[in-house]
Amino acid sequence: MPTVYNWQIRRELDYPYEHERPKKQFAMVMDLNKCIACQTCTIACKTTWTPGRGQEYMLWNNVETKPYGFYPLGWDVKLLDLLGDSQKWVDATYEGPTLFDVAPEGDTLGKWMPDEYDWAFPNVGEDEVSEPVDVGTVMETLPHLAWMFYLPRICNHCTYPACVAACPRKAIYKRPEDGIVLIDPERCEGYQECVAACPYKKSIFNAVARISQKCIGCFPKVEAGYQPQCVTTCIGRIRLQGFISPPDQVRPDNPIDFLVHVKKVALPLYPQTGLEPNVYYIPPIHVPRSFLRQMFGPGVDHALRTYERMRRGEEPELQGLLHLFGSTERISHSFRVVDGEVIGFDEHGREIVRVPLVEPYQERPHEDPALEVVRQDIP
Amino acid sequence: MASRTLALALAAVFAGSSALAQEALKAAYRADGLPLDPRADVWQEVPSMTVTLEGQTVTEPMVMEASITEVQVQALTDGRDIAFRLVWQDTTEDRFQVVGRFSDAVAVMVPYRPSDEVPITMGAPGDRVLILHWAAFRQENLDNGYADVTKLHPNAVYDWYPHAKKPYRYPEDWRNQYALAYIGGEKLFRKNTLNTPVREVVAEGFGTSTWKDVQRAEGKGVYADGSWQVVIRRRFVEENTSNPDWGPGKRTFFTVAVWDGSAGDRGGRKTLGYAWIPLEVEAAP
Repeated sequence: MPTVYNWQIRRELDYPYEHERPKKQFAMVMDLNKCIACQTCTIACKTTWTPGRGQEYMLWNNVETKPYGFYPLGWDVKLLDLLGDSQKWVDATYEGPTLFDVAPEGDTLGKWMPDEYDWAFPNVGEDEVSEPVDVGTVMETLPHLAWMFYLPRICNHCTYPACVAACPRKAIYKRPEDGIVLIDPERCEGYQECVAACPYKKSIFNAVARISQKCIGCFPKVEAGYQPQCVTTCIGRIRLQGFISPPDQVRPDNPIDFLVHVKKVALPLYPQTGLEPNVYYIPPIHVPRSFLRQMFGPGVDHALRTYERMRRGEEPELQGLLHLFGSTERISHSFRVVDGEVIGFDEHGREIVRVPLVEPYQERPHEDPALEVVRQDIP
Repeated sequence: MASRTLALALAAVFAGSSALAQEALKAAYRADGLPLDPRADVWQEVPSMTVTLEGQTVTEPMVMEASITEVQVQALTDGRDIAFRLVWQDTTEDRFQVVGRFSDAVAVMVPYRPSDEVPITMGAPGDRVLILHWAAFRQENLDNGYADVTKLHPNAVYDWYPHAKKPYRYPEDWRNQYALAYIGGEKLFRKNTLNTPVREVVAEGFGTSTWKDVQRAEGKGVYADGSWQVVIRRRFVEENTSNPDWGPGKRTFFTVAVWDGSAGDRGGRKTLGYAWIPLEVEAAP
């Protein structure tokens, strides 16, 4: 098997196919401190891509409550179970087994197949906190004693996708132009090897069409220079889609590179799978570190320190960039923070959006002496 | 890839061994038609051959322990068509291909070139095989109506599908370009609405199997008393498409694969006869 290099875990691994990195790699950053689980992304995705027969239970984008929410049931617990007890990081290098290392005899990688009912409860555990809270409990310190947070998920469009590795028909491919991973519906025979293989469970079977289907990264929008539906409809403005460079080709003015490689504030989800997932999360500040490290790897401490500095106003460029989230439907290939504004540029360096870091506002006194009235607190 | 090299090496070994004293299956000539029904009396008079099956252990994903170990094969010809009858014991009847569950199936493979040197691992580049694949889930659709949501989940409630007409039965109410986009497109739709439980596939090695544009093979499968009985029938020469070099008075080879849905068999997870079996087609007298 060819050997490939995974920068997220800083090691090589065996992958069934020769690898050449795509010209661009689709990537997304989500700030988990801002998600309120309104599910607008889920509905936007659903109405755009999965209103068909056999897709009733299918959510290419879902938002679940951690720690007790899952879609499908227990996907992350099963993932951790598969990888076993020796998931060891030495500094930033992962020395435990990846999914390819835990492959049973006769298979390409470690898999598990969700049951029909595993998919039936997309809102299980919603809003449940980690443990009961006594009446009168006050939480003023971080991390919180009792906690929960929302985890929005789409396909990670992995650099080394498990679905591609598992498909015996070569019906799944990673596009060289943007790294988006797609299932060819005409080659798919519904064997569901990809469903069993994807540790994030983002390949889903359509029992009526008899093929597996998955998030397509809204490729028609991306091809036209627009961000996906789940990004542009996000009312919390937690998401930014763009393209990530490999670590040796980082462009600090690329928004995704800046967040992931320069500031290292956004982290991959369960990088120990070895797949190099390309959705990156800014971890929530109120959650215990042990849980976050298990989920996002050892970069959590640095990410949270940087985010805290940003909150104190010590990271103006990062703070500025976060204002680009949700401010334009277009894909920002580069950005600049100048004079209290963040500017986004397209692929050709043309300005596409300019956002003030502080919106102009006017303060009016409570009493209006001319009219002898008291102003109500209305816009 | 290493596994392909291994496959070819193994294929050579198997091809070599099959050339030894392998008994041939004779497709006897019968003038008055080839019954599709596997329970037809005619089949009781046709000699039967036992093919031993083993788990597919050449390429991943594999079957390390075969749950179906043998299948009985018979063949008849009327000079234009050939019909195979395949009977095997399977204690579980799996007629659906749904979330996490798989269908029983059987396939007959014939090389385009009538030689036992064609790799038994579904051919090789330039060395094509024809695969006639019957599946229980397709039979179920024909026998009892398409396995639509309302059939799979009788109590399911769904308010509205924006692109289809009420009452939303698949496939009838989804035959428009907007709705088709959500269920895999027109080609897939055509595959799902074929009026036969047998699909015709060509392959030139593992992972290359592809539906033929022309799909005229017929078949019928019946499950009774813990056994599947399946008939697969095809013309030797179909028009407007490629065909193996076979026909009345000729000798070629075949082998068989069986899938046990309950055991998780699908795709490469199958049990198969690892040696080409000679197939002698009787000419009209």
